[in-house]
Amino acid sequence: MVLEDQVEGDYLVVSLRDKRLDAVIAVSFREAMLERIEEGQRKLVLDLSNVGFLDSSGLGAVVVVLKHLGQQGCLYLCGVTPPVMAVLRLTRMDRVFKTFPTRAAALAA
Amino acid sequence: MTDDAILKLLVPATLPAARDATERLMALGRRFGDEDRALYETAVMEWLTNVVKHSYVPADGGIIRLVAQAGALELHLVIEDRGRGMTAAQFAAAPSQMEFDPAALASLPESGMGLAILKSVMDSVIYEQQQGINRLIAVKRWRS
Repeated sequence: MVLEDQVEGDYLVVSLRDKRLDAVIAVSFREAMLERIEEGQRKLVLDLSNVGFLDSSGLGAVVVVLKHLGQQGCLYLCGVTPPVMAVLRLTRMDRVFKTFPTRAAALAA
Repeated sequence: MTDDAILKLLVPATLPAARDATERLMALGRRFGDEDRALYETAVMEWLTNVVKHSYVPADGGIIRLVAQAGALELHLVIEDRGRGMTAAQFAAAPSQMEFDPAALASLPESGMGLAILKSVMDSVIYEQQQGINRLIAVKRWRS
């Protein structure tokens, strides 16, 4: 699993380079994201533009990240591909996460 | 893809093998529209993950048998394992839709979504336990 970080003002943009956010990498992804929160990052943008597959394990990991940020932090999703959006809609998680077509749109929110 | 193409796989009960099997299965799913294809692949991965995590234990060295047949109207899938499995009653009791308050952060589901995805994606899904075999039979019709 490869995550790529980029600081953009108050935001840390984390780009998942893998094509699949699934049960194979869900635990390592979750732990890596929680490390960033423990280091003090409260505003995160998760760039999923490389990700063409999401399952409930991967989705659950993203939910854990959102919960750890709490009401004081924020987690935006950007570059959400159609297959990933289909899973968000099916699970009704599209009502939970703020999604943006591009990284620039998320940072401008 | 011609009608009645068949794929048979013996899959080690590991998550990477489950991923590989799901990707190979999708070679038979070319007649799905884009969204159906994406959701079908997720649904199958959900079941295989469930078997790997909950039916077998890592030391079992378990094997999952997968048979898929692409027919004229549908993709017919049978997945069998010989692990502990769940009872048919447990399977039936799992919800087919996610119900939660999106504004209630603390109560958002982190797990337990897999069976809901499977049940809502497939047009027909049957789970049975017979003679030590746990068997899922799932059917998804082609729609463009």
